[in-house]
Parts: sequence; structure tokens; C-alpha cells
Amino acid sequence: MIRSKLTLLPAPIFFAATALLFTPYASFPQTADSSSTTQVVSARSDRWLHIRVDNKESKGELVRVNVPIDMAEKILPAINHDQLRHGKIHFDSGKLNDIDVRTILDAIRTSKDGEYVTVQSNENDVRVAKNGGMLFVNVTDKTGPKHSKVEVKIPMKVIDALFSAGKDEVDVVAALHALSAHGGDTELVSVKGDDNDVRIWMDAKNVSN
Amino acid sequence: MVLLAKVALGITSALAMATVYTFHEGLIHVDVDTVEDGGTHVHFWVPATVVPVALEFAPRHKLREAAERVKPLLPALRILSKELENYPTGDFVEVQDHDQHVKIRTRNGSLLIDVDAPGENVHLRVPTKTLDHVARELEANASPE
Repeated sequence: MIRSKLTLLPAPIFFAATALLFTPYASFPQTADSSSTTQVVSARSDRWLHIRVDNKESKGELVRVNVPIDMAEKILPAINHDQLRHGKIHFDSGKLNDIDVRTILDAIRTSKDGEYVTVQSNENDVRVAKNGGMLFVNVTDKTGPKHSKVEVKIPMKVIDALFSAGKDEVDVVAALHALSAHGGDTELVSVKGDDNDVRIWMDAKNVSN
Repeated sequence: MVLLAKVALGITSALAMATVYTFHEGLIHVDVDTVEDGGTHVHFWVPATVVPVALEFAPRHKLREAAERVKPLLPALRILSKELENYPTGDFVEVQDHDQHVKIRTRNGSLLIDVDAPGENVHLRVPTKTLDHVARELEANASPE
């Protein structure tokens, strides 16, 4: 009886162990779950927000941050620190020197495409324009030894989402959601300064170039 | 003789299964090298499966203490660890200073943190699933709001 049980016992265990040993890592339940997640990931928006800061003065100093927008959308509401609460940043409108940002944005939104501000002076060149649902702000500072340049290009929908929250707050999560929905590879901010170059852009790559 | 061979085969198979199970969640890999104060060299590999077991046996008051300390960050930590599983390969942060280099990235479902600085090198590799487990366990031990 015992012998017959022993005879039967090793075979299934052996086959199970052999199967486990030679099964690729991906076929484990845990990994099967993650591989199915990968499929889900490919169905997700898969947009990454990249921030790159290069310091020209200190040789080789650089900061690269790459964040999946989906992930940021989920994590931000869970962070409640300082001015950031539930994915919204509170600010003191009193510090805006009576500038009504919402009214200005409303005016821009309802206006036709075109150049709203063009300033060319010895110190600065400034251009604010709207075209194809994008807001462009270009500033060239001519005062430094090298001309510093700031170029901002933001979808209007993102700005709308940003200011969709109550008074005195901006909704970062809503803005990220709008940015993700906008799709495409977009260069959002480019700053070429005397000391630093800053780039903020969005694409589908999980590494920054 | 045949019986003995079968018993040996059974034991070997069971051992093989145990080994496979132990390592199926991956490895936690820690390398710490410092040169200051005589220098420290810590290098170890631990199967990630050990972590949930260790957490089960860890003294409750110690876990509660740790949970209270990081309580404000726990919801974000839990979401982050869960979300990281969706990004098995990615470079998240890289900071290069004069002589310091910090990298935070994921490779094959593990979170890698590499710090290379003069006199101090830290390399940590933890499966994201383990992070999720730790975050959940800490959250379970934190006092309710």
C-alpha cells in the first residue's frame, strides 16, 4: 500500500516541478498578471511627461524626470502637502496684483486665432498667440550676454482644465488628463537661458532622449 | 533500489518546486559601499518571497511605529507601488551632479535605485510587487484617521 502510494507520488511532483522549472518567468500567475497588465498598458494613453534641465555652467550637471501621465494623475490626488490638496494647488489670488486670470483666459478662448501680444523692444521680444487650439508664448530676453529664450506651447484645453477648479486654485490632475487626451508628441516648454536649458515635453517614450 | 530512487526523485522535485516558489517573485538586491569611517560593505540578495513572511512575523508595535511615521505618504506610496507594476521598464529620475549620479528606474518589474557618489555607492533592486506588499502592510497597520 505504502509502496504503491510512493510509486504514484513522485511522478506528478516531478512533472510539476519540471514544468515550473522550465516554464519561462512570464507564465507565472504573478507575471501572467503583469503581462496582462502590459496589454492594458498598451491600451492606455501611454503618454509620458519629460522634464530635462541641463546646467551649462556646472559641467555635466543635469536633471531628467520622466513621469507617465496616467501614473501622475493617480498619485497626485493622494498627496496632500502644503498648497497641493487632492490634485489641486491653492494659491493666493491677492498676489496676482488684481489680474483676473480667468477673465483673460475667457477672452483668449472666445477670440479667434491670431497674435494677441507682440512686443519688440531693445530688452525683450514678447509674442502671445493662439493657433489651432494651442496657446503660444514666446519671450526673448536680449539683456543677457546670450539671448535667453522662453517658448511655451500649451493646448487651450489644458489651460481650461487647469483653471476649471474653484477660485484660487488650479486643477493639476484635470490639466494632466487634458494633456494626456490631447495626444501626440508635444513640446510644451523650452527655456534656453544663460545658465540652464529647460525642456518639458510629452511623448510615448519611457526614456528621455 | 527503485523505491529509493523514486523517493530521491520526489525529494528533489519538491526541493525544485520550493526553490522555484521562493524565487518566483524575484530577488531583492542590496549593495552598499562606503569608504568613510572605516568603510561599510553590505551586499546581499534576498528572495522577495521572504518579505511578506517577514512582515507577518515582525512585531506588530514596530510595524505600527513605522506605519505612523510614513502615514501621510502611505496612500501615495500604495498607488505608486501599484502603478509601477504597469511600467516594468522605464527611466523615472536621473540626476547628474559634478560627481554624484542618482538614477531611479524600473527594469523587468523591479525598481532600481542607484546612487554613485564619492565614497558612497548604493544600489538597490526591489521587485515592484514587493513594494506594493510592504505599502499595503504598512497601511493596514497605520491607525485610522
